[in-house]
Amino acid sequence: MITAERKPMEEIVECARNFSRVLLVGCNECVTVCAAGGRKEVGLLASALRMHFMKEGKNLEIIETTLERQCDPEYIDELADSVGQVDAVLSMACGCGVQEIARRYKDKHVFPMVNTKFMGASERQGVWAERCQGCGDCVLGITGGICPIARCSKRILNGPCGGSTGGKCEISPDVDCAWQLIWDRMKSLGQEDRYEEVMGARDWRTSRDGGPRRIIREDMAL
Amino acid sequence: MSLKKRLSKGEFVVLAEMNPPKGVDITRLLSSARLIKGRVDGVVIPDMDVGVMRMSALGGGVLMNQLGMEAVIHVYGRDRNSMAIQGDILAAHVLGIQNLIVTTGEDMANGDHPSAKVVDELDVVGLLSAVQSLEDGADLSGIALEGSPSLLTGCAIEAYKDDASLEKELELAAKKVEAGAEFIITPPVYDLKSFDSFYAKASALKVPIIPTVFLIKSVGVARYIARNEPWAGVSDDLIKRIRQAADRENECLKIAGELAAGLREKAQGVKIVTIGWETKLPVILDYAGM
Repeated sequence: MITAERKPMEEIVECARNFSRVLLVGCNECVTVCAAGGRKEVGLLASALRMHFMKEGKNLEIIETTLERQCDPEYIDELADSVGQVDAVLSMACGCGVQEIARRYKDKHVFPMVNTKFMGASERQGVWAERCQGCGDCVLGITGGICPIARCSKRILNGPCGGSTGGKCEISPDVDCAWQLIWDRMKSLGQEDRYEEVMGARDWRTSRDGGPRRIIREDMAL
Repeated sequence: MSLKKRLSKGEFVVLAEMNPPKGVDITRLLSSARLIKGRVDGVVIPDMDVGVMRMSALGGGVLMNQLGMEAVIHVYGRDRNSMAIQGDILAAHVLGIQNLIVTTGEDMANGDHPSAKVVDELDVVGLLSAVQSLEDGADLSGIALEGSPSLLTGCAIEAYKDDASLEKELELAAKKVEAGAEFIITPPVYDLKSFDSFYAKASALKVPIIPTVFLIKSVGVARYIARNEPWAGVSDDLIKRIRQAADRENECLKIAGELAAGLREKAQGVKIVTIGWETKLPVILDYAGM
């Protein structure tokens, strides 16, 4: 999923300060799963904002809604009536959702209410960790299903650096050494010989280095 | 007299651009530079120009210093992060390089290493601020330096297609000047009259404006520019002049020289770009009377 964290309240307050009617929009997808911008968080943030401005003697009218997805035009269209009634949209979706609102409603201010963080997985209740950088040329098949690009601090492709100690990364004892994980996994799969294979310099064009990316499916495009 | 002093006194400066080699044979670079020693105020050394991997600008700049010529090296954020850039700027100062042009790197996709990883941590304004910070005695983390560099730092205005894009470029240039740029290099000038209207606007930036004279090497190049960059100012008359000349190569050099001479009356300097024809620079300078 795409993970996110709600922005600090002070920053959110400043986004809303100059408006009297706003639309607060959550998203039912990734940000719901990581408890940053779903229906529940929309309700909590709306209450917090109302209380904040009430204490300042100002009435902020907030329309609350949560879309199935904010990264899809067909759902964004559902907002048309509500957007027409407000001065600004506060989006609790990831950066993709915020930009879709900005693209569809060109004359309306839109502000992000969360900081989009990374593509990750839930390690345990309340803990999410980065797993994928979307490099566009997946190597998981040759690294035992553990990604050195996303999980090694140095993105090293041919084994651990000297900072790997006791299975941990030199940057923090809380960070696993990705190459230790890869080695352990290859060993358990009986693939130690694959570890000897040299991975050459990567072609970074498939990653963000090749510029903003698109996927075009001619078989699906209308 | 140094480039910095000449510019501060309002004197006209002549710059010539030379690329370091793709390899370690520096013969051509040095012999070309020797041909114009004493005739130019500085040699501009691009850093892996047009995205082609070459010897770094820092290396090229030091070679110019060893020849007793003042170097102006390009710096940009595509290939180096803030650590590497700051380190190289400190090294540049200590190795005798006094001038920088902070610019934007060519898109990696257009170069000869399209699969390379892009850094792009600092943009032009961020990089100019970094230079300013180093000159003020601290790095980008605010940690005090043991001795701070002193550099003349310029920037560039990118090619503009129309009045609207020129306005945007000038707004951006104003930001660059605010961030510490002390002179501005312009896109190639092919038509002195259109330069006047540009200059009238650009001079409001209140830093020396140094236009580029780009040597058109053939009718084909002239046509290519006219077709692909119609806003650049390569006119039909210019193409016709080269086409009808008895000695086309000489006519091209003459045109570049005439443009440089014409700009002497209008701007604070000129940067001559010859893209591989650096040995012809003395002839261009002869035609320019420089």
